[in-house]
Amino acid sequence: MMIPNRSEYLKSLAQSGQKIMGVLPALYPRELLWAFDIHTAEIWDPPGEILHANAHLQTTICPIVKRSLEFILKEPEIINAGYLFPHTCDSLQNLGTQVKDLIGVNVPVYTFYNPKGSFNNTTTKYYREILQNFQTTLETVYEPLNPEKLLSACVLGHKIDSRLMAIQQARMTNHLSLDNSAYFELMRAQEYLLPLDYLNLLGKIDILEQAIEPARARLMVSGILPPSPEVLKFLDELGVSVVADDLLAVSRRIPKFPMDAPLLPLDYLTDRFFILPPCSTRAGDLEERLHHIDKLMQASQAQGILFDIVKFCEPELFDHRLLVKTLRERNIPVLTLETELQAYLSGQDKTRIEAFTELLFDMVSA
Amino acid sequence: MSLRAELKYKIIKDYGAPALMAFQDLKKRKPRPIPEAFGPPLESNKRLKEILSRHYFLARYVPGVKKVAWVTSGAPVELLRAFDFYTIYPENHSALVGARKQGADYCSIAEGSGYSQDLCSYARIDLGHLLSGKTPAGKLPKPDLLFCSNNICQTVLYWYKAIAHELNIPLIHFDAPFVATEQTEADINYMAQQLQDMIPILERVSQRVFYVDVFERILKSSQETSQTWGAILNAMEAQPAPMTIFDAFGHLAPIVSLRGLPVAQDYYNILREEVDTRVAQGIGAISDERYRLIWDNIAIWYKVRFLATFFAERKMNFVTATYTNAWAETTGYLDVTKPWTSMAKTYGRIILNNNLKHRLDLMKKMIKTYSVDGMVMHSTRSCKPYSVGQFDLRKAITADLNLPAVILDADIADERVWSEQQIHTRLEAFCETLEGSKHG
Ligand code: SF4
Ligand code: SF4
Repeated sequence: MMIPNRSEYLKSLAQSGQKIMGVLPALYPRELLWAFDIHTAEIWDPPGEILHANAHLQTTICPIVKRSLEFILKEPEIINAGYLFPHTCDSLQNLGTQVKDLIGVNVPVYTFYNPKGSFNNTTTKYYREILQNFQTTLETVYEPLNPEKLLSACVLGHKIDSRLMAIQQARMTNHLSLDNSAYFELMRAQEYLLPLDYLNLLGKIDILEQAIEPARARLMVSGILPPSPEVLKFLDELGVSVVADDLLAVSRRIPKFPMDAPLLPLDYLTDRFFILPPCSTRAGDLEERLHHIDKLMQASQAQGILFDIVKFCEPELFDHRLLVKTLRERNIPVLTLETELQAYLSGQDKTRIEAFTELLFDMVSA
Repeated sequence: MSLRAELKYKIIKDYGAPALMAFQDLKKRKPRPIPEAFGPPLESNKRLKEILSRHYFLARYVPGVKKVAWVTSGAPVELLRAFDFYTIYPENHSALVGARKQGADYCSIAEGSGYSQDLCSYARIDLGHLLSGKTPAGKLPKPDLLFCSNNICQTVLYWYKAIAHELNIPLIHFDAPFVATEQTEADINYMAQQLQDMIPILERVSQRVFYVDVFERILKSSQETSQTWGAILNAMEAQPAPMTIFDAFGHLAPIVSLRGLPVAQDYYNILREEVDTRVAQGIGAISDERYRLIWDNIAIWYKVRFLATFFAERKMNFVTATYTNAWAETTGYLDVTKPWTSMAKTYGRIILNNNLKHRLDLMKKMIKTYSVDGMVMHSTRSCKPYSVGQFDLRKAITADLNLPAVILDADIADERVWSEQQIHTRLEAFCETLEGSKHG
């Protein structure tokens, strides 16, 4: 599986004249942007040292926000169509206005509100209006939207969703022969590949007819981003397969169940938003989230769950305590790692992962 | 509703509470001597204490008589008042715990049960209280309902979600879209509709019927109270200012937690009269006010006295704050003839739900109106919506207005975060700059 390198790919796109918008985590109507021929390059954890962002942010702000700001402050040329700040959490909410109103950048800054809490007719109606307003905003910058293009973009998004669901399902049932690192590299490629390129890439992934031999132990992961490549590699070495996830950057952005092919784009995008899995950043119901995790664990026959928590991430930290408590009460092994998105695996974390996987192996052999 | 409980509540309300207040008066310790740096204390302090003690005291007898709601400080409580809920403000309670320097104890309880130390300390204190039953307020009634709005932060939503789960009670959430540029028609209609959608739920939980005239009366009272509070804060434009912002932090409690009730309006009438008299007589909150300051962010509850004294001794008085202003700033939008949309504007546009350009403009205006010489920003570990952006706000304000400013890293209620040495050094340096800038 050959996946292009993120920065080289985006650089060559920008050089070819492609409009590229830098999008911060996590939920936004990508299809609407695609319909304006704007490519969405998501900014989650740009690598490199944090130097300049520290002058703008307190030490107690999560590394995703810090790294994103560090990236923005460099005024990268690949981002030529502006930045989009979806309303994900208090920190990103403020970062959006900080960049727009106080720091200032040489491209436009957009925001997109995602309704919070429980969902009903009032929320649905509102979300559709937000979509409409966002479309109008983009139309004032670009040309009026061609409805055909929006429909095609939704069809493309729908195909990607369907393929991703099939791949996830294959992963859960041992019909995919990708190791942890490769699997999540594939999942994360959607953050920067053009949708058509991504769909082609997904199309090249073999979903096996015959189930393969399951790994020594099976694990589910939860959190914001997939565990770091170092952790994933280490799990591979130990013979542990990550078979399901409840990650904001991955599964929580894929509908819970298949949708009909789109006919009316804005209605489709509205429906899609409301059938995404429960998520801390949308302040989803805790029972529902527990139920969802349960279902995934059962479907994937995962023996334990790894919470990879981004340091200072309030939405996750609040839910985390109750999720862990309930899962432990159900005798499900749980391991929590806290990450600052560092590109190494500490000796302490290594030992904890080893001890945890021993526990999983014991369960398998019991 | 039990008749016995109701009778008991009535007796306690009419006789027990006044008797307790009288007893507390009798057993009151000799008042601490007032340091020379301060002017005469406000007479209204006594009344404030009575009101708050009575509120917490009566709360013990309320279960079985009224339904109890736990509410966030920015939630549109007027709607709840129309159903006669007895309201408790966990944020207010956490501030109380913090002011008594017990924040760390309560936080530790929450942390011991699995909540991260990185979460807002108001939330940790409240969860610590919930898990242990401990409170300096005697006893808090368990809620029948939780009512929150993310117009101050999303944290309250996560926090209340956790309580709702723990206690298995309903949570009503008022979703207030962040004002990234300006409120749209869609935002206003969304909020207005949510408020109306809440009525059947509130009727069910409270077992009471909604009467629009009752609601409008409450709304009007709430509006008047906020306006009076605003007028009290405006009185601090006078030189010398009749109060310090540290006084205002205390006198804020009724507008936060008793808004919409006659007791709050009565109280602010008294306070207003007192501050107006002080202004007329030229009585200042500190004895020799030479420098006037603005405070940004929530109070550092466990250090209020320390900070008040530190600055008063240097002839510096805090005359305005973004925090205290929050309960007066948007009242002008309230319109009893258009209750739903006007509430959407009032509650949706408050400072913490508004963009940083709005905050910058507001702060600049306050600095001018209150003839401010310097700015102290509390960067609190607990509160992302209040703190993220402060570094750049400071930069913009100092550059545009040439105003000395300092940022203090601390926390609202978890005293473990306080670093005496570091804060002292920063404050001394700030005071030197301020003195130099005014006289140099
Ligand atoms: S990691 Fe958490 S706090 Fe940070 S941006 Fe994401 S949701 Fe917000
Ligand atoms: S201190 Fe900040 S984060 Fe905590 S409840 Fe208040 S507004 Fe929310």
